[in-house]
Amino acid sequence: MKAIIAATIIGVIMMFASILSNNKSGIVSLATVLFFFLFGINIWEVYESINATGVAAPAYLNNMMSLDSFAIWFSMLMSGCALLYILLLGKEIAKVGKHVGEYFALIAFIMVGIYLLAGYSNMLMLFIGIEILSIPQYILAGSDKRNLKSTEASLKYFLMGSFSTGILLMGIAMLYGATGSFDIINFRMLQTDALNPLALSGILFLIIGLGFKVSAAPMHMWTPDVYDGSPTPFTAFMSTIVKAGVFVAFLRLFHASFGNLTNHWMMIVAVITATTLFIGNITAVFQQSVKRMLAYSSIAQAGFMLFAILSVNATAWQGIVIYAVAYSVATIGMFAVLIKLKDYTYDGFNGLAKKEPALAFFTTIFLMSLAGIPLTGGFMAKYFVLLAAVQQGQVMWLVIFALIMAAVSVYYYFKVIIAMYFKTGEAELNHEVTGYDKLMLGITCLLVILIGLMPQLLLNL
Amino acid sequence: MNTLMLAVEQSTPINYLPVVLQLLVAIGFVIFMVGVTHLLGPKRKTADKLINFESGIPQVGNARQPMAIKYFLVAILFVLFDVEVIFFYPYAINFKELGTEGFMAVLMFVAFFLCGFIYIIKKGALEWEE
Amino acid sequence: MDLFEAIFWFLTAMAIGSALGVILSRNPINSVLFLIATFFAISGHYILMNAQFLAIVNIIVYAGAIMVLFLFVIMLMNLNADVEPQKSRLVQFAGIISGGILFLLILAALRDMKAAGVIEKTATDIGLMKNLGKTLFQNYVFPFEISSVLFLSAMIGAMVIGKKETLVIDKN
Repeated sequence: MKAIIAATIIGVIMMFASILSNNKSGIVSLATVLFFFLFGINIWEVYESINATGVAAPAYLNNMMSLDSFAIWFSMLMSGCALLYILLLGKEIAKVGKHVGEYFALIAFIMVGIYLLAGYSNMLMLFIGIEILSIPQYILAGSDKRNLKSTEASLKYFLMGSFSTGILLMGIAMLYGATGSFDIINFRMLQTDALNPLALSGILFLIIGLGFKVSAAPMHMWTPDVYDGSPTPFTAFMSTIVKAGVFVAFLRLFHASFGNLTNHWMMIVAVITATTLFIGNITAVFQQSVKRMLAYSSIAQAGFMLFAILSVNATAWQGIVIYAVAYSVATIGMFAVLIKLKDYTYDGFNGLAKKEPALAFFTTIFLMSLAGIPLTGGFMAKYFVLLAAVQQGQVMWLVIFALIMAAVSVYYYFKVIIAMYFKTGEAELNHEVTGYDKLMLGITCLLVILIGLMPQLLLNL
Repeated sequence: MNTLMLAVEQSTPINYLPVVLQLLVAIGFVIFMVGVTHLLGPKRKTADKLINFESGIPQVGNARQPMAIKYFLVAILFVLFDVEVIFFYPYAINFKELGTEGFMAVLMFVAFFLCGFIYIIKKGALEWEE
Repeated sequence: MDLFEAIFWFLTAMAIGSALGVILSRNPINSVLFLIATFFAISGHYILMNAQFLAIVNIIVYAGAIMVLFLFVIMLMNLNADVEPQKSRLVQFAGIISGGILFLLILAALRDMKAAGVIEKTATDIGLMKNLGKTLFQNYVFPFEISSVLFLSAMIGAMVIGKKETLVIDKN
């Protein structure tokens, strides 16, 4: 709860900072300090939740939220990722446009949405959370106003995003019609034998609405254009932390409420997962631009995260946490490298190893993590979600399919590594890589490897 | 009198029948009058009479010009504050019963809007730029 | 069929008819006018359900303010040239087929739906402004407060997207 309040206030402070000051680097420093503060508040909340068990929720919450230890822990991890994101890309955010303070304010508001999605227990909060998450994203996607592609990304995202929100609302309304309640706990009374068709349609609509937000195929059409067109620093944010937040909302709803109805929705989600993995990985192979490849790869990674939705057990919850953090950290790092380059195509990476050996090494680690090579965080993440699916035991064919697709993904991730190390060329940099950049990228790299070696650090459950 | 009071307190949809009737009468009157003038009036159509009226000046170009976005900015800000005001109605009715807690809730909501308002003014969103 | 039911069916037909008008009419201005008619029909439904506050809000905010925004957006676009690319027949056909299948499926599923026992057949007084206010400011006070974050982001969005950018020299 403290984190929600703090993030809101940080957003307001950043709004006012943009009025009071034109100094871009000053605003970036202020934002960094405030996000440190936010992370600190999150840690404080985790500390409190460990020490004081069974504290009644504040009365004003009125069962709207259930801020259990998982919600608080996940919020803390996401704040950590956001802090890392600001530390790595804060300077780049300042270069996007004129309204620097506003960008940070919007990011803080998105964090509010993520906290809501991590701990909601009422469909109304799910809706408000999704909206608070989405609307700032539409704005961030279009923040580079002189760039036509950015404007196009914003408009496409807005139109399709509002449409999917409409479908989500339809689903919520249908479930309300079936149960007479918005409380996700009350959806448990839906019994398998006497299931209302209204509830079934509602669940279907929710799968579509939430599937759109996590860019699961066939609701992924917006993803490449939006991620490619948006300013790169905001793509890094949208494709990682925000997506992870929506996944937790997805997981919470389908495990807590519809966990006993798996035979009704399991097959649908399994087919969506297979399609997502297939389309994401196969299309990524044919991309020329690394940024667009990363957009498709984010679809592919969403396919793996969908395994956590599929397998209704405790391992899935652990899997989604590890996957969210490992994927976010590696992708943010990857985007931080990408933004340094002038040319976003594969050829732009040619000969980077000679020019900037440290940068090339960090890129290799990030890409290996995304591909799921052992000893990196990405491996542990994939291991946990697939383990959850194996424990569930109903979708073994899908697990095997996912392994094949992971092998395919190695191809396009390694294409970048090959370009950096084995192709000759002059990788042109946008600007000098400073010592600070290298330090931050090194820390990110260490985090990736640390998650790979000790994933249990991310689990408090 | 007694039954009337009762009906007002219960406030059922049937209370809106007068409103509906008034609406019907208003719309019906307009349709009737327009229809009657159309039927009774003489019709002389010439090119000069069918032209769009532009204060007596010969019309130039097309009316469908793209509009500047500054109108839109004002309009969207209007909608936001319009929605804020809407929330006051249910509060005003329950003002006494909700007590301090309700007052604090509304105060906080308004405070957020005030922040937004100051932000908008300071940013010059309402200044008309040429 | 009593008066209540007659009005209900009239409003339903009006809502669906004007909603179809929105998507079928060629002129965008007509679409907006149809949308206003739809909103009025839905407001009528709200009044039938005894939710007068919602009915009024629907008219003030949607039929009033948001429709003006819609008109602004339409006027922002250049309506002279017919630049809208025509979708190919195949895509149109696929869209109609898939949409129709979804519609039929849901219709078939809902046909033998049992009313969940929670749906009120007659008007209740939960939608009256007094009761609604109590619910809003007591049970739903947290979402109410949080929605202000949404408003703030909308304000920022209007500023960031809508404000003309004058070039400023970066101080760095």
